[in-house]
Amino acid sequence: MCFTQNFSNAIVLGLADGFIYALIALGYTLVYGVLQLINFAHSEVFMSGGFAGYFILNAIIGTRQPHGAASFGLVVLGILGGAAGGGLIAFILERVAYRPLRKRNAPKLAFLISAIGASYFLYNLAGKEFGRDSVSIPSPFTNGTVFSVFGAQVQTYYLVIAIAALVMLVLLDRLVAVTRLGKGIRAVAQDAETASLMGVNIDRIISQTFVIGGLLGGAAGFLFGLSSGVVYTMGFTPALKAFTAAVLGGIGNIRGAVLGGLLLGIAENLSVTCIGFQWRDVMAFGILVVVLLVRPTGILGERLGRSA
Amino acid sequence: MSAAPAGRLELVRSLKTNTDARRLFACLVGGLVLALMTGPSGSASAPTSGFTGSILNPRVFGFLGFGAAIWLLMTVRHRFGDRIRAASDRVQASPRRLLPDRRLRYGIYAVVLAIAIVYPMHLSGFWQEVLVDQVGVYVLLAVGLNVVVGYAGLLDLGYIAFYAIGAYSAAYWTGALPIHPFVHLNPFWAIPFAILAATIAGVILGAPTLRLRGDYLAIVTLGFGEIIQIVATNLTGVTGGAQGVIGIPHFSIHLFGIRYAWGINNLPYYYLLLGFVVVVLVLFRSLENSRVGRFWTAIREDEVAAEASGINVLKYKVMAFAIGASTSGFAGMLTASKIAFVEPGDFTVQLSILILVLVIFGGMGSLPGAVVGAAVLQWAPWYLREHPILGFQQQDIYIYLGALLVVMMIFRPEGMIPSRRRRREIGLAEHGVGHADALSGTGPGPVA
Amino acid sequence: MHKRSMILIAPVAAGALLLGTLGGVAAASSSHASKPTYTIAYEGPLSGGNAQLGLNMLYSVKLAVNQANAGTTFGSLPFKLKFTSADDQGSASQSPTAAQSLINNSSVVAVVGPAFSGATKAAEPLFSAAHLATVSPSATAPALATQGWHNFFRVVADDNAQGPGDALFVVKKLGAKRVYTIDDASAYATGLISAFDSAAQHLGATVTHVEAPGTTQCQAGTGNVQQYGALASQIKGSNAPVTFYAGYYCDFALLAKAVRAAGYTGTLMSDDGSLDPHYISESSASVANGTYLSCACTNLGTTKVDKAFSSGFRKLAHFAVGTYSAEAYDAANTIIATMKKLGTKVNRKAIVSGLTKIVYPGLTKRVHFQKNGDIAGTAVYIYKVTNGTIVEVGPVSSLVK
Repeated sequence: MCFTQNFSNAIVLGLADGFIYALIALGYTLVYGVLQLINFAHSEVFMSGGFAGYFILNAIIGTRQPHGAASFGLVVLGILGGAAGGGLIAFILERVAYRPLRKRNAPKLAFLISAIGASYFLYNLAGKEFGRDSVSIPSPFTNGTVFSVFGAQVQTYYLVIAIAALVMLVLLDRLVAVTRLGKGIRAVAQDAETASLMGVNIDRIISQTFVIGGLLGGAAGFLFGLSSGVVYTMGFTPALKAFTAAVLGGIGNIRGAVLGGLLLGIAENLSVTCIGFQWRDVMAFGILVVVLLVRPTGILGERLGRSA
Repeated sequence: MSAAPAGRLELVRSLKTNTDARRLFACLVGGLVLALMTGPSGSASAPTSGFTGSILNPRVFGFLGFGAAIWLLMTVRHRFGDRIRAASDRVQASPRRLLPDRRLRYGIYAVVLAIAIVYPMHLSGFWQEVLVDQVGVYVLLAVGLNVVVGYAGLLDLGYIAFYAIGAYSAAYWTGALPIHPFVHLNPFWAIPFAILAATIAGVILGAPTLRLRGDYLAIVTLGFGEIIQIVATNLTGVTGGAQGVIGIPHFSIHLFGIRYAWGINNLPYYYLLLGFVVVVLVLFRSLENSRVGRFWTAIREDEVAAEASGINVLKYKVMAFAIGASTSGFAGMLTASKIAFVEPGDFTVQLSILILVLVIFGGMGSLPGAVVGAAVLQWAPWYLREHPILGFQQQDIYIYLGALLVVMMIFRPEGMIPSRRRRREIGLAEHGVGHADALSGTGPGPVA
Repeated sequence: MHKRSMILIAPVAAGALLLGTLGGVAAASSSHASKPTYTIAYEGPLSGGNAQLGLNMLYSVKLAVNQANAGTTFGSLPFKLKFTSADDQGSASQSPTAAQSLINNSSVVAVVGPAFSGATKAAEPLFSAAHLATVSPSATAPALATQGWHNFFRVVADDNAQGPGDALFVVKKLGAKRVYTIDDASAYATGLISAFDSAAQHLGATVTHVEAPGTTQCQAGTGNVQQYGALASQIKGSNAPVTFYAGYYCDFALLAKAVRAAGYTGTLMSDDGSLDPHYISESSASVANGTYLSCACTNLGTTKVDKAFSSGFRKLAHFAVGTYSAEAYDAANTIIATMKKLGTKVNRKAIVSGLTKIVYPGLTKRVHFQKNGDIAGTAVYIYKVTNGTIVEVGPVSSLVK
């Protein structure tokens, strides 16, 4: 069978891809949970994280090759920098492109067009200001095979992604389940009117939800950029795939976004052993259509209210 | 002494909530952003040079002044709003309400048509080219997508797929593709086949997927658009692959003694396009006012109620989809035959999104809106290129378009020339009554 | 008060008078020697995913125009040159409009471009009807030379010339019996790779071919960056001694990184789309060292003239020369050389016929054109990345005995 050859490799690669999709998908799903809208400009949040991480590491590392503890510190710094960049752009996005529309009860499509406009604005401005060529982030660690499992080589880079993603996912899960902010998010997602009657400040919750999604997306941008470089058009494809993953898992559902991301990553990598790379997207959308026809609300179903 | 600090804090707090102050802040920031947009560019090795060149520079005062001027205008409108609004409402009303006399309205349409026929003859070759390739084709695409998005309320993000199908049909029926039909046609006679192919594709895509709710439909149509592009690129034996196919003949008629061949001159294509657009506009206007149009409105405003009233929702959704697809197919066929070349790299998802932008900018659900919106947004970049203001550069056009869209949606989400019904829907929603479109009404979520 | 102000006013007035006279004299003298002004235009992608390639070429043309006006390349010219550009986004549907904007500009006498083959196919009928010469620095589709466009020229060898040259090097010089070939699904790469594959097979090598679409990371492609991980493990598993990639430097850099991280030790090779220092900066010197690159162009980075070009380009563009920069420079200079020969009788038709006869010693090759507009002389040269820089090795014809 074509997908049993290289099976373990496909799983390892699929998990690495999947974690990045998951981090981006969470941004979509969180915003969808509280606002019922697709944040089309999330791709630019991702890109901003990539650039933020690049500028920070470029300034610090330059041309040296760090080792050991310095590597670890730099990776963390890059992730934090990327997250900060993403969070900032998400915050501005919500204030400028979404809040005014919310205040006027604008139609859903107006939100969508405003998001598209914000996306056009942000990535083209980035292209104008930072140049149109791809730049690579100076590597904070030496990439090599750390260990092998069932014949698949696990590189340092994959480990970094997996560990970083898992840490962020656990933090997010705790945040949503335990903290006051998390309760606020769940309340707004479930029933905003009642939540506001109960004293929840909806504006602030929504803003903070955007920021959290931005932190995750920005960190994903940095992690992605570590291996693939940073460029002004980098947001479009990963964000599209991540949105597909969010829908696949059940939009509005946090665990669904993670599951969808991982599943999509693995499914893509498995299918590529059977069909060529040039059919990869066809496969991804094919999977999506089949899932939606069978289970229109995604694998885990759509919801956020009941603690994901 | 203790009163002063408290007073200052109070001042800051009151400034934060004072709408005039907030508006001023927003306008000044907007001025800065405008300065940045029109300023010099940076590069990866000098990322701050664009910022410093645009903002840490005397020119920034001009932009701040501009922002302040806008603030002044907005505050005046806010203060004396009611009187101004009443006057502007009268101006914005749709043609039908403005000119209830049917004969007068038709007269004006006739005048507009006459201008549309005569004026292009006096334009230079370049502006004729812009009129056909940029304005004309996109007006047709916007009008077609308007049926899908505006009338039936379906979010289609893969509209360019039908355009591609029309273009490849042109290539196929004229024998330019690696696979050949049983008879080679001149593309003029292949027009109905292209339209048919696109329509069938619309039905094939629509039938299984139009059951899905708004956002899901969006992602599926987006996927379909990408799939068509990928298939066209990969099936080299069928579509010619990434290099495309060259040598599609131009339109020509050779019938009953009438001989006419389109060449590379733009005017004949313009008139063909104009004819088609007029037919389509008349058709769509009558559709809008027919039973089918009312079914579409019902589906758009409240799908569940429509279904409960006995309307076969799926059938009419698929019909809207197919009609939109057919228009797109014709546009693709025309462009392919005019350029005599087709390549898959042109049928991008970004183009589908652009057409959606044109429709909503112009006014979703409104025919004059779709026409004017598409015309303006397609003409403006080329006009600005020829007459640049404030250091405008053609490659920055999407920065301006993006900013324009955000501003438009904040101040005028119904679009430039909204349909009367949409205006009412949005106006009511603004005051908390009902929802502005079918997409907003589903699922839990905040209203305010 | 009176006296003081008079003391201030007098020198100011005198200064103004002096400046005014000087200015008047200068204006008068410049109006004496007023030369005709012609515009050389550039058409290519300046926005969208392929913008960087377009910019690589734009600044070369601009530099050539500036240098011609300053008298550095051609000495004193009987005309002044201006530069303009049109953004076709690399797309065949935008290209006719961009072309028409140049055609409509009566000052434009020749065009460098269009950059992409698809855009060229769409725009040439218009340029041809207007008798406006187009000298493309990068459109390599063989079909372009067979459409009968008398105004079409290109300074780059088409795919059917480059492919076999590359294959000859790989099979005969590198001695590879098995080759792994990859293309990025672009119009450029698919043409090149099919020529390469059939030539390699004719020479007796076994070819494994895979298509990995160019990513949005690097171009306006539909590929996913993640594919390089999977592709790298496939290549490692195949153990082919040589891997040949047809595409551009950015995607090639990502592939190279992935392949080396997976532990592949074979030789990497790519085409002139990757002949760009960004290949090294985006992968890393350790990854890039040992890579072969091919181009139907020579002398890059070696001669004094070329070094002057590189530094002049960098000053103008704020980034280093890249893919196709040198070709665009040659294209622009060939046009200017043709115009110089025409002296005062410069017009579009004259340039078209002048270009059919011109012989110009360019940076990358001796430029002169065949009857169908193709460049004459299609020798393929091999470059190698050594110690973090791209160094020329030599022409395939002398490397393969």
